[in-house]
Amino acid sequence: MTHFTGVDWVIVIAYLAASVTAGLVGKRFIGSVERYLVAGRELSLYVGIATLAATEIGTITYMYNGELGYKYGFASFAAALISGAVMIVVGRTGFVIDRFRQLKLMTVPEYFERRYSRGLRLVTGVLVALGGILNMGVFLRIEGEFLTIVSGIPVRYLVVTMTVILLLELVYTVVGGMVSVVITDFIQYVLLSVATILVTAYAVYYAGWGHIVQKVNATMGLAGFSPIASPNFGLTFLLWQTLLWFSIHTCWQTTAMRVFSTRDPQTAGRVMTWTGFIFLGRGMLPMLWGIAALTLFGAGPMVNGAPLPVVNGQTLAPIDAMPAMLAQILGPGVKGLVVAGMLAATMSVNSSYLLGWSAVISQDVFLPMRQLMGKPPLGSKAQILVNRIANLFVSLFLMFWGLYYTPPGAVYLYLNITGTIFLAGAFVSVVAGLYWRRANVVGGYAAMLMGAVGAVVPFFFLHWSENITGMISFGLAAVGLVIGSLAGGRSPATEAA
Amino acid sequence: MIFWLSFWTVALLVAGVSFACITAVVTVRGVSDLREMFQRLRREDPGAS
Repeated sequence: MTHFTGVDWVIVIAYLAASVTAGLVGKRFIGSVERYLVAGRELSLYVGIATLAATEIGTITYMYNGELGYKYGFASFAAALISGAVMIVVGRTGFVIDRFRQLKLMTVPEYFERRYSRGLRLVTGVLVALGGILNMGVFLRIEGEFLTIVSGIPVRYLVVTMTVILLLELVYTVVGGMVSVVITDFIQYVLLSVATILVTAYAVYYAGWGHIVQKVNATMGLAGFSPIASPNFGLTFLLWQTLLWFSIHTCWQTTAMRVFSTRDPQTAGRVMTWTGFIFLGRGMLPMLWGIAALTLFGAGPMVNGAPLPVVNGQTLAPIDAMPAMLAQILGPGVKGLVVAGMLAATMSVNSSYLLGWSAVISQDVFLPMRQLMGKPPLGSKAQILVNRIANLFVSLFLMFWGLYYTPPGAVYLYLNITGTIFLAGAFVSVVAGLYWRRANVVGGYAAMLMGAVGAVVPFFFLHWSENITGMISFGLAAVGLVIGSLAGGRSPATEAA
Repeated sequence: MIFWLSFWTVALLVAGVSFACITAVVTVRGVSDLREMFQRLRREDPGAS
């Protein structure tokens, strides 16, 4: 028995059909690898904003931000504020992205060959693909949880449902590459934004602003409002988040691909600036839904400073409180629209991420390996084929890993740490490569290696907090880059850059 | 606490209003952006249907 009425099903199925059909249109324009990966660098401002926002707003985003809001109250807004503010700064100043766009790159690791060496591009490509795919690995399960709770689809159909959704997005991504992704992103952005605004209105109406403030105050006190007073955040968290978001907005493959796809560096900057404002809402609005869920259902035993949600007599995990609230408060028709919006969010993120990580595997791992083995370079058509095959491999991995692996702790922090595995080293190497003449290939290797070790060892083996782990990772990467560069002397690659 | 509550209330309003306004503008102007992108891609590749 689902919570869906006939109207809801019609809305969802119509959306899926429209989205896949529109996506297939992109195939007409794919004649070269540049079109396949960066849409021929033809993105203008508005469609650029739509695709960048849709790429980085998924059901996974709503889920982890809802969880943060539920567990940490208004203090969690700090993470959203930092993500948006940093993006606006990057857009306004052109920090990294301006130079990146001028270089006409297609992937982030490609920069490492231009500035450092082919070997470092390969190492970076492996780390970027590994960290990115592990990061994406939890998406399907969490998104499936959302879908089953809100729609009421029985859990036994979770694997089948998510596999079908993955296959649908795979079809148009494989066939039409970035052009298809941009077209579908636009439709999906509009739909997910309408759903976001609708849910916000419903959540505040049902929970009541006064009750929301009262509940956070009664449950968490000052820690529910001040990120500095919150034991889970504090100044270390704020500093790490600032570094992390600078690295994400400049070096995260799926975000960088939008920069590479814009018509010129000025457009890239404007896209970033305006999307920065969307990022404020991308974080704060679902966090507010989480706080509203706390207000309505936070009546269970206290765990780590917040009561567990109790819905219809059943105790749930905090991450499930927000979708459970939506299942309760949304009426027929609206529920269908919201689920279609969330499916849109899911598909836009997954298709962009599939394209992004498979691009790294093909362009930065497979092709450099062929060249290192002395084989001749591949033509554009063959490169597109390799990209498509890589897309299939990433999807297969996600189907098995994503549906069975459960991340420990808060999902937001798991995603941050898996991203940090390559982001710390990549960000430090990119910034030094662009703005410090002494940076060289030895420093680049040291930064990538020490950044990865700094993320993996403290978090997975020493079980230190995410904040400390993140800071250590960025710190070690910077130390590695500086010491390696000073010790390595001036390399020919450095002179040429 | 009053300071933080006021701060987050203003931040939330800015976030919500800018989210809604940018969505409205992008929805309207994005369609012509897409159309122009298709035209440019077609011009550069006459083989495209």
